[in-house]
Amino acid sequence: MRRFQCRTMIASLLFHVLYPLSRFLTFRSEASKKGLPPAQADGREVLDGGAVTTRKFNQSCTTLLDLWLSSSSEMEAEKKERLKEPMPEKECDTGLDIRKDQLTVLSEESKEEAFEVMWRVWEEADESASAAGPTPKFLPYKKTTMDFTVMSYNILAQDLLEANQELYIHCPLEVLDWSYRCRVLLEEILKWAPDILCLQEVQENHYHGQLYPALSQMGFTCVYKRRTGNKTDGCATCYRSSRFSELSVALLEFFRPETELLDRHNVGIVLLLQPVVTKGSEIKAKGQPLCVANTHLLFNPRRGDVKLAQLAILLAEIDSVVKSCKVKDEQCNIILCGDFNSLPYRPLYQLITTGELYFQGLPAWTISGQEDHSYKVHYHKLEAPLWPSSLEITDSCQYSNVKKIFKDQEPGKHQYSHDFLLQLRFCTAARVRPPDLELIPGVTDNTPDVSRRLPYIKRFRHTLSHHLDLESVYKHMLPGSGNPEVTTLHSEGAATVDYIFYTPRRVTSDQTAGGETAAEGLVLKGSLTLPSEDVLWSMMGLPNHMFPSDHLSLIAKFQLELDSA
Amino acid sequence: MNNKFDALKDDDSGDHDQDQGSPKDSEKEKIEDEDKEQNTSKKKMVVPGAGEHPLQYNYTFWYSRRTPGRPASTQSYEQNIKQIGSFASVEQFWRFYSHMIRPGDLTGHSDFHLFKEGIKPMWEDDANKMGGKWIIRLRKGLASRCWENLILAMLGEQFMVGEEICGAVVSVRFQEDIISIWNKTASDQATTARIRDTLRRVLNLPPNTIMEYKTHTDSIKAWEDFHGLVNASGGR
Repeated sequence: MRRFQCRTMIASLLFHVLYPLSRFLTFRSEASKKGLPPAQADGREVLDGGAVTTRKFNQSCTTLLDLWLSSSSEMEAEKKERLKEPMPEKECDTGLDIRKDQLTVLSEESKEEAFEVMWRVWEEADESASAAGPTPKFLPYKKTTMDFTVMSYNILAQDLLEANQELYIHCPLEVLDWSYRCRVLLEEILKWAPDILCLQEVQENHYHGQLYPALSQMGFTCVYKRRTGNKTDGCATCYRSSRFSELSVALLEFFRPETELLDRHNVGIVLLLQPVVTKGSEIKAKGQPLCVANTHLLFNPRRGDVKLAQLAILLAEIDSVVKSCKVKDEQCNIILCGDFNSLPYRPLYQLITTGELYFQGLPAWTISGQEDHSYKVHYHKLEAPLWPSSLEITDSCQYSNVKKIFKDQEPGKHQYSHDFLLQLRFCTAARVRPPDLELIPGVTDNTPDVSRRLPYIKRFRHTLSHHLDLESVYKHMLPGSGNPEVTTLHSEGAATVDYIFYTPRRVTSDQTAGGETAAEGLVLKGSLTLPSEDVLWSMMGLPNHMFPSDHLSLIAKFQLELDSA
Repeated sequence: MNNKFDALKDDDSGDHDQDQGSPKDSEKEKIEDEDKEQNTSKKKMVVPGAGEHPLQYNYTFWYSRRTPGRPASTQSYEQNIKQIGSFASVEQFWRFYSHMIRPGDLTGHSDFHLFKEGIKPMWEDDANKMGGKWIIRLRKGLASRCWENLILAMLGEQFMVGEEICGAVVSVRFQEDIISIWNKTASDQATTARIRDTLRRVLNLPPNTIMEYKTHTDSIKAWEDFHGLVNASGGR
C-alpha cells in the first residue's frame, strides 16, 4: 500500500511539472510538417516529437514507475536481479531525481533512460471501449486473473544490415555495431520485462552466442527456428518458464520445394502454452491454453501471393492447435505477432482481422501495399487457386488433411476428408491400371477421364478465409494528430508492418449466466505506444542510440482468467 | 443362419425384389467352404506403395451380377460374386475405382461391394453375423454420386465408430438403386445413430430421404420366410 501511495505521489509530481511542458511540445509538434529534413538529435530538436508523450501523461508515468519500482510483484528474486542492472530503476524516495533527470534531458543533452521515458509511452487500454462486453469485475463472482506482457520485435539481423547498408546511411556508425545494438536490445527487454517475447531477424550465431544465454538467465525458455536456405537469421519465441508451461511446439518452414509459389525461405513458430501460477513446485492455478504464433513473412512487395500462402500455412497450423484444444473441451486464446511485411488495412491485414478476403483479380503488389506499382503496365494478378491442392491447405486456411488435425488425439489413425481424397483422384499412381484387375466388359473397362481433373482443382474459391477471431492491439493511427504509427523506418521509408494480434474477450451466454468456466478471450490491459515518422526522424531515424533496430518493439499487456488447479 | 449364398442379395431378399433366390444346397455350401479356404490361403496382404497415403484398413472391391437369361432360382450368390481387387492406400483405391464403371452406368441387376479385407460381403461372415445395415433407396440418377461419397467417407474414417464399419454396397436395380453400409453390432444404438448422422452429412441427402436400419438376422429371416425355409437348420 505504501508503495502505491508513493507512486501516486511521484506520478502527480511528474504530471504537474511536465504537463505544461508537454502542452508546449504538442503545439510545436503540430506546427512541424512532414517531409522536413531529419532533425538533429540534440535536445531541442528532439522536442519536436513531444506529441507522443502528452497523451494520458499522468497514467503513463504511473505505469512506468510501476514497472521501475516493482517488477512483477510475484517475482521478488527477479526484481532484485533487475535492480542490479544499470537501468533507471529507482527506489521510491528517489522519485524526485527521476523528475530532475527528465527535465535535464529535455533542456540539455540526450540520456538514454530519459529518452525511453519520453519516446515510448505506456498507455493503459480504455477497457470500456476495447472490451466487447462486461469485464469480470462487473460479474457477481470473482475470478482470479493473470496479467502477462507480450513483446514482438524485429531486431534487425546484422548480416542483413551489412548487406543493405544503403538503408542505414543516416546512422552514426557506432549504432550499427552488433555488440552495441545487442546491449541496448537486452536492456530494452529487461526494462519492459515481457513474459512472452517474439523476435524476428534473429541471426543464428548471435542467438547462440549472446541472446540465448542472456535470455535464459532472465528466466526465459526459448524456441528458435532459422530460415531455410542460406539465410542466417530466423525467429525466436521465448516465454517465462515461471509463468507458462509448454504444451506443444511447431516449427514451420514456408519453403515448399514441391509448390512453385512457395519458393521463399521464411519461417514461423507456433507454441501452445499453458499459463500457470506456481507456488514452489506446486501449480496453484491454470489458465486456458495460449497459442503464440510468431513469424516474419516475405519482404518482396511485389509478391503478395507468396505472403498470402505463407500466412495461410501459419493460420492452418494455428487452426489445428485450436482444434486440438477444442477436442479436450478447452478454449484456446491466440497471440499472433511478428513482421508481416504488410501495411494496415491492406488485403493481407484484412484477411487476418476480418477473417475474409476476396482476392480474385487483385494485383499482387496490393496485397501488402508496401509500394505503389499502379503505374506499371503489367503486373501479376491473383487468380484462384492461389496454391495447388497438394499443399493440403484449403482456401479457408485449414489443413485439408484431417489426419494432421487429429495427430495428437489418435496416433496412427489415417483419417482423410472427402476433399483430400478427391485431390488424389488423378494422381499419376492412380491412373495406372492395376495389373491384377480382371477385365470385365461393362464393369472394369473404364478409362480414367483425366479431363475431369479440372473441376476438382477449381474447388478453390475466389475468397480466402479463416475461422480465428483476431484483433490488432495497435490501431495504427496516433490519436490527436492523426499521424500513422510507425513500426519500422530506414532511409527508404517508414511504415507499420509489425503487429500483435490477439483473441479479444467476447461475451458468451455462459459468462452472462455467471458460469464457472473461465471467460473466453483476452482482455487488453495496455500497450507501449508507437511514434510517428516525424518523431523518429527527429531522433536521426532508426537504428539510433536508444532503439537498436530498424523496427520498434511492440508491447502489449493482456489479462486472462484462471481456474484454480 | 445358413444361407451363405444369399447374403449379398440382401436388398432384394424378402423386401420387394422377388426374382432372386438360391437353392439351399449343402453341397454348394461345402464347395464354398473349400473355396473360402483357398481364397484365404492364396491371399496376399496388400501394402501401401512408397510415399502413398495409407488407409486405416485394407479394403476389397467385389462385384456381383445376376446372369441374364437364366432363372434366378438357379443362381447362387456365391457363383455370381467376384473379387475385383484389394488396396491399402488412397492411391491404390483410385487406381481400382477409376478403372471401374460408375454404378449409375452399370447394366442389369448388379452390385458393387466394398468391404474391409477379410470380411466377406455376406450376412454369415463372423464380422457381420451380429450386425446390420443402413439402407437408403435412391431414385435413378443418384447412385454414382452417393456411392462415391459413401465410400470416401468410409475409407477416410469419417464415421468415427471405431472398428464397427464392415463395408458398403451399392445395388443397381430396375426402378431404383440402393446403397447400404454394414456395421458389426446391430444392437449398439449409439453406433448406428452415429452412422446415420454421418450418412446424412456426407451423402448430402434430401431431407425427406428415408433411411432404414435392418439387422442381418431380420434379413435372413425375411429371406427364409419368403423362400419357405423357416425350418431350415439354424446356425452353422
